[in-house]
Amino acid sequence: MMELIRDNLGPAMFGGLIIFLLIGYPAAFSLAAVGLFFGFIAIELGVIDPSFLGALPFQLFGIISNDLLLAIPFFTFMGAVLERCGLAEDLLDSIGQLFGPIRGGLSYAVIFVGAILGAITGTVAASVIAMGVISLPVMIRYGYNMKHATGVIAASGTITQLIPPSLVLIVLADVLGKSVGDMYAGSIGPSIMQISLFVIWVAILSVIRPDHVPALPIEARTLRGWPLLWKSLRGIVPSAALIFLVLGTIFTGLATPTEAGAMGAVGALVLAMLYGTLTWKLAYEAMTSTMRITAMVVFILIGSRVFSLIFQGVGGGLWIEEMLTGLPGGQTGFLIFTMVFIFFIAFFLDFFEIAFIIIPLLAPVAEKLGIDLIWFGLLICANIQTSFMHPPFGFALFYLRGVAPPEVKSRDIYLGSIPWIILQLILVAIMIAWPEMVTYWLSKTTIMDPSAVEQQFRNLGPAGGDGGTPTMPNFDTSQPPKFN
Amino acid sequence: MLKIIAAVAIVFIMAMVVVGALRAGPRLLPLTKIIDRISQAAGIVAASLILLAVLVSAGNAVSRYTLNASSNAWLEVQWYMFAAMVLLGAAETLRRNEHVRVDLVYGSVSNKAREWIDLLGGVVFLMPMCLIMIYFTWPVFVQSWEINEMSSNAGGLLRWPVKLMLPVGFALLALQGVSEIIKRAAALRGLEVDEIEYHTPLQ
Repeated sequence: MMELIRDNLGPAMFGGLIIFLLIGYPAAFSLAAVGLFFGFIAIELGVIDPSFLGALPFQLFGIISNDLLLAIPFFTFMGAVLERCGLAEDLLDSIGQLFGPIRGGLSYAVIFVGAILGAITGTVAASVIAMGVISLPVMIRYGYNMKHATGVIAASGTITQLIPPSLVLIVLADVLGKSVGDMYAGSIGPSIMQISLFVIWVAILSVIRPDHVPALPIEARTLRGWPLLWKSLRGIVPSAALIFLVLGTIFTGLATPTEAGAMGAVGALVLAMLYGTLTWKLAYEAMTSTMRITAMVVFILIGSRVFSLIFQGVGGGLWIEEMLTGLPGGQTGFLIFTMVFIFFIAFFLDFFEIAFIIIPLLAPVAEKLGIDLIWFGLLICANIQTSFMHPPFGFALFYLRGVAPPEVKSRDIYLGSIPWIILQLILVAIMIAWPEMVTYWLSKTTIMDPSAVEQQFRNLGPAGGDGGTPTMPNFDTSQPPKFN
Repeated sequence: MLKIIAAVAIVFIMAMVVVGALRAGPRLLPLTKIIDRISQAAGIVAASLILLAVLVSAGNAVSRYTLNASSNAWLEVQWYMFAAMVLLGAAETLRRNEHVRVDLVYGSVSNKAREWIDLLGGVVFLMPMCLIMIYFTWPVFVQSWEINEMSSNAGGLLRWPVKLMLPVGFALLALQGVSEIIKRAAALRGLEVDEIEYHTPLQ
């Protein structure tokens, strides 16, 4: 009996985890408790040494001293300020009028604004709620098909997951042990592809079902000419500047992702000031909500580190590895299995739970099979995105239900999401078929090695420059920016 | 044999805590008000650290490239603040019921069942976890304090303040856990308790 338990502690732990999580007590605490509980059993059975638990404080210290994780509050704060400052409303209004005259114009506007908001706010809820409040009533008033209107809004809101600079990608980079810069660079291709797929679908609809996506009638366009252009620019230019500030400094190696996040947050405050909406109340709300999200996320990480310390100790990692490397079909078999698995597990688990619990179990296997981890991470990211759209639990649909006018039926929202889920799954399929979509951008912008960055700056100097010319910025190379 | 007795004793203690909370819960409610205030105060500190960390990090990045001035102290103080905001904020997050759950079951059961889940989860999961964590992290702080440990980076900071954050954070969390246990127990006894309903966090 004891023998049986001793040999199967890994599977038992995994089973215990599922049961304890399902009870519904906060995941962070359940995870840590399961880990510690099985840790004591394993010590009792002689599977691990009692000194094993002594590694716990160092694991915890490793989490709080990881300055990449500091990017979590920074990007969250940036989004929290921007979603409250009125930028979304302005953008939707002006871009809607700009694209309105063409068939499907409002849908293009929603996709376009969804992509911009996705880049700068990074929260699905904020995008979906803003678009549901502002664009949905306009779309309904001018005769857009209800299913199409709700579907395009929910789908465009979820773009934020994949589009850089996304919080999700920072967390994935940390879990997979890759640089955030590479993760962002790799996500450019899939983001463009996703937006293109959405746009193509609207274009197809406007040909085969023109009555679903009518053009705005002339009286609906309150703005035109210069005022319209001015209003559109007022929304787009600051957003573009902010995106450039954050992504540009990361890609050129001028700042670490953490510092870029901090500058983005300062930029968001400045932008709110320019909009005249920066109040103490707004800043305080953004700070407290950021604090709670950060504490929640990092505590899941703490819980999962405790769990995985013990899980690896009792040989659970090996058990998973044997199970998954034994799948038929090698690489492709593994990818298809994990993608289907994550698609379904995402019905029940939140992104951070998947990232901290499931991915650390899968990543070593993927690496062993020779799968590029950045590609793998982005596949998972694109896949999890669809979970926001699954009826009836998908969060995007849920938020939309919350703000949609009463004449919108839940049935419309659920049915409307289906074509967009299919489009997102097509994206996953294309990404599996053409890994180059991810890796192409990687090779172009991989200058994350600090010495290479320094070399580049030297090359910028005058010919034969020894680096001592007064016009050259003198970088403190004693502490290279960290890109862990 | 001794260990079996110890295990039985632990289960017995947990059971007594649950029974005790259910019996004394209503009378202990004033205590929860005090604990909640402590967590709120720690939460305000944590929230202010976010703005401070943003300014320090952005300022440090800018000054490194414009004035060529930066130091390890400025880099380290950023993650000191990160540690503090996470560990001081966890208790307030628990008070606001914003630690994410798998709500497949939790979302579909009655209020009473939810209160039972929270009460038992608090006693069986949260409290032992916090106590074990304090047990493991406290000596690490004491050691650092005694030798006046400094950062290994040139110009780095004193280490013990950040190492103190770990046991303090778990202690605050445990304290708020006591408050939540009392509130749930009182609610199960039919008292009006200002509970905060669980919502899946926005993301």
